[in-house]
Amino acid sequence: MRKGYKTNSALRRFIMTIVFLTVTAIVTSACGDKATTGGSGKLNITATTGMITDVVQNVGGEYVEVSGLMGAGIDPHLYKASQGDVKKLDNADIIFYNGLHLEGKMAEMFEALEKRKPTVAVSEYLTEEQLHAAPGQGAGMHDPHIWFNVKLWISATEVIRDTLVEKDAAHADYYKEKADSYIKQLEELDTYAKEQIATIPEASRILVTAHDAFGYFGEAYGLTVTGLQGMNTMSEYGSKDVSKLRDYLVEKKIKAVFIESSVPKKSIESVIEGARQLGHEVKIGGELFSDAMGNAGTAEGTYIGMVRHNVDTIVAALK
Amino acid sequence: MSDFWILLTGALVASCCGVLGVFLVLRKMAMIGDAISHSVMPGIVIAFLLSGSRDSLLMMFAALLCGLLTTFLIQMFQQSGIQSDASIGVVFTALFAIGVVLVSLYARQVHLDQDAILYGEIAYVHWNIWELGGVNMGPKAVWLLGTTLLIISTVIGLFYKQFKLCAFDPALAAAIGIPVALFHYLLMGLVSMATVSSFESVGAILVVGLLIIPASTAYLLTDRLGLMIALSVAVGVASTFLGYGAAVLLDASIAGCMVCAAGFLFILAFLFSPSQGIIIKKLRIRKLA
Repeated sequence: MRKGYKTNSALRRFIMTIVFLTVTAIVTSACGDKATTGGSGKLNITATTGMITDVVQNVGGEYVEVSGLMGAGIDPHLYKASQGDVKKLDNADIIFYNGLHLEGKMAEMFEALEKRKPTVAVSEYLTEEQLHAAPGQGAGMHDPHIWFNVKLWISATEVIRDTLVEKDAAHADYYKEKADSYIKQLEELDTYAKEQIATIPEASRILVTAHDAFGYFGEAYGLTVTGLQGMNTMSEYGSKDVSKLRDYLVEKKIKAVFIESSVPKKSIESVIEGARQLGHEVKIGGELFSDAMGNAGTAEGTYIGMVRHNVDTIVAALK
Repeated sequence: MSDFWILLTGALVASCCGVLGVFLVLRKMAMIGDAISHSVMPGIVIAFLLSGSRDSLLMMFAALLCGLLTTFLIQMFQQSGIQSDASIGVVFTALFAIGVVLVSLYARQVHLDQDAILYGEIAYVHWNIWELGGVNMGPKAVWLLGTTLLIISTVIGLFYKQFKLCAFDPALAAAIGIPVALFHYLLMGLVSMATVSSFESVGAILVVGLLIIPASTAYLLTDRLGLMIALSVAVGVASTFLGYGAAVLLDASIAGCMVCAAGFLFILAFLFSPSQGIIIKKLRIRKLA
């Protein structure tokens, strides 16, 4: 009997410890809140991918405060929100996202959020003809990697420009001017990419990567694109994919294949090894940025720098 | 406001899982949550292939059917003499593999897996609002989980004695005329309902964690079933609060922090539990010496 009483008092002490810890946690989280809200009179904007963040920064300039959710090297399919990201989305005046199911289930949340604050998909202006259907799918499923065709990304820039002009009419002229000069840069980039790719001999214009992100890029700049994995970076590639791709490399005498910043390179290495055993040397042509940009502060950390890097890497390896 | 809804959702998941987790731990079937998180895959794929849509209600329904099938098969294998851990392993790996094969055959180019289609994220619950005639009724997840919790507590409350006897001494229960198999299936049905609706609202890791860890913690603290359920729910709710506090401080994944907090509380109980804790045991031995 006495032992039972003792056990109960010890149990009570244990429960009190948990209660104490919990109360401490609530108090600290309540305090933590205040630090994150800062008003500076600027428009608070949150964007999902680094590419969108970069465009918003370029168009919004000094009148916007942009925060991105997915940093350098983060695969959007695998992104997990942190507590700070929740606050960023809560405090945002406008939210920009890619759309076309790039953000997965997050998109449902954006659609629900639309009723209460401007939540804009940058792919909004694109028409059915401009988009690629995701092969083998029902209606309404599109390849989301629109940033690889600079022309489509100009359309995304226009979405961002028009949204900013509408929500912050006081600085409309500023945004229009900034957008115009940025679009001009993008047009130059588009021309640059076309000219550079055109220097590759026509038979060698074949781009082999780990996953099918480069469909728009291939179409816009005249490359045949083949990927090992499907679009989805989560799905496993089958042994048939490996041998099919290997035979393709040997048959077309492809000189180089490419790895991607946000996809592990193991998958593509097995293909190279396979081709070597058949007596065909393939080298890794370099790392391409696909679903995420490079580190902030480097040239590849901007959209334009990233596209240039991809184009230069491809041209250097295939020429 | 977001903090409030996230904490409420977390507390609801913790309560659903806390109650059911105790029964699962007692029956040595704690991994069933993890099993369901994988075995819903073929349901999702088939529903997608048949309908061509990703409508979340439809997906949840398909997942629920798959969850029920999983628990039914596990229960059936176990009753025909296969060890419970083996029957869980057999059923969920086989079902998951069927899903993988279906994706590779028919849906290679589409982003199709539980993560993209079914699993929610606790960070987003407060934006996914249910509106009724233009009136803001609060997050959908809170309603879904609240209903689930209501059903669970009603069923367990009504048949508490039967569930208790089936968990501790199925032979005796059968001897006095309780339909043991029926109650096992009923419990499994509740588990698959609770896990699937929680997956839809908050994602997998949080559900699997809260189903096992708080119940195991409570198991270390008491021998009485009623108290064990109460403690399991309390530890679960405390984990969500502690975890959220940690997520704020660290700016990290909310669900991840909540499960870590549950793990931390388990370690505390493991070391300091008045009856089972290893430190208390050592002290007691020293006192005797």
